[in-house]
Amino acid sequence: MEKNLYLEDLSKKDKILIEPDSVFWGIVKNNDDLPFSIPAKLLSLYEKMKKRSAQEMYQFRFTTKLSAIYIDPTDRCNANCPYCYVPAKTRKYGHSMSEKELEFILMKIKKYFSHTKKKPVIIFHASEPLIVKDILFKLILKFKKDFYFGIQTNGLLLEEKDVEFIKKHKISIGISLDAADAKTNNRLRPNAKYGGHFQKINQILEWFRGYKGLNILTTITKLNATKLPELVKYLYKKEVPCVLINPIRLTQKNSRNLKPDTKIMTKYFLKAVKQAIKYSMNSKRKIIIGNFANTLLGIIAPTARRLMCDISPCGGGRCFFTITANGKMIPCGEFIGLNKFSGGNIFKDSIEKAMHSKPFKQIRARVTEEIPECNVCIFRNICGAPCPAELHSLGNMYSKAVFCDFYKEVIKYAFRIIAEKKEKYCFRKNGLNSVEVEYKL
Amino acid sequence: MVKKSKKSLKKVGAVKTQAISYRLKCATTGNGLSHYVMYGDTKKALL
Repeated sequence: MEKNLYLEDLSKKDKILIEPDSVFWGIVKNNDDLPFSIPAKLLSLYEKMKKRSAQEMYQFRFTTKLSAIYIDPTDRCNANCPYCYVPAKTRKYGHSMSEKELEFILMKIKKYFSHTKKKPVIIFHASEPLIVKDILFKLILKFKKDFYFGIQTNGLLLEEKDVEFIKKHKISIGISLDAADAKTNNRLRPNAKYGGHFQKINQILEWFRGYKGLNILTTITKLNATKLPELVKYLYKKEVPCVLINPIRLTQKNSRNLKPDTKIMTKYFLKAVKQAIKYSMNSKRKIIIGNFANTLLGIIAPTARRLMCDISPCGGGRCFFTITANGKMIPCGEFIGLNKFSGGNIFKDSIEKAMHSKPFKQIRARVTEEIPECNVCIFRNICGAPCPAELHSLGNMYSKAVFCDFYKEVIKYAFRIIAEKKEKYCFRKNGLNSVEVEYKL
Repeated sequence: MVKKSKKSLKKVGAVKTQAISYRLKCATTGNGLSHYVMYGDTKKALL
């Protein structure tokens, strides 16, 4: 057998055949009664496609194609979540952009993208962007032809009229929610002012019912790991179309106390995935677990994946970057509390300069091939060993992912879904209609 | 349903090994997003 091809058990009957660099894969379903063999047609397909697939993956991984910019219009936050990656001091005393400053930035970004055909994405992000919502909404209206807009928020400041504005202008919105019960959620997302985060989000989800641009963001910690299936049930009932259920990042010291047990997290995450698939199979409406769907894409359509944390180099400083409230350009928001990762200041430096800066290049240079444990892992180009910021703050960026075993199990489960031909239940309705088949056995 | 014996399986030569392998291509996805968000052109996107 070709030296780059590897076999991995998927179940008693099935094995995965994979070439890690090009992510050429096959699932071999063997008859119990016969000795294991790899069908010749699979090997000849590999021979035929290996060069093209490897070239495609190389292009995908090593091309710098900026398509989204995160803007933190304020450093301040009205909540105090114990796992936040933005340092507490910054959240309390940080700067907020003025309308003029934000307009200046959007003009600069517009100019940068003026020669590209594809509309770039602007995402207003951490700490809590709706603290300056009047400015945001005003400028969204002004630049709506130039950008797709998204807002990631804790939701506490959302009012019904804001929701109408968001729906009317088709703005994507991500809302944080960590559990389907008030006690767990409010412990993870405490705030004294607004009468409970869960209660507020429960109301907001009614206002958003049926809105396709809504996405819920859930962070898995030791406090909510076992409650993920219930969360999916709750969100499905609320007609939420998509949820991201991400393991906590341990970038800031305060978050490390909330680290979940990997086995427990994996078990309940996969239960949540099964729950979502069950809903999709048995009804007309779906709930998509975005990060699981993205893992599936990493296998069946590697260059079409949407989230760029699970590929190396990651998307930070390559496909997106973050502008902080004081104008610093950093490869990704996860670096906000870390020193020496600024690629310049948007108020005086160009975007080109930031893209060519040493810190951005440093992130673009981090590949799994340089990480000893990952270099021998067959899933290295499906997982990507996230996250460089988190691992840097833990001591060494060139280490395997903190939740390596979680990613391995999730990838294997994704292969099982493919073996069972259930992958269509994991994507948006008609989602797979917009793709071309490159090859098929 | 009739269970096939090992012998009959060998004779027919069927159901020996099956394989699934495919790759899709999509030019419309964003490819510029982190694990925090799923934004972009949601009309055309897979996710």
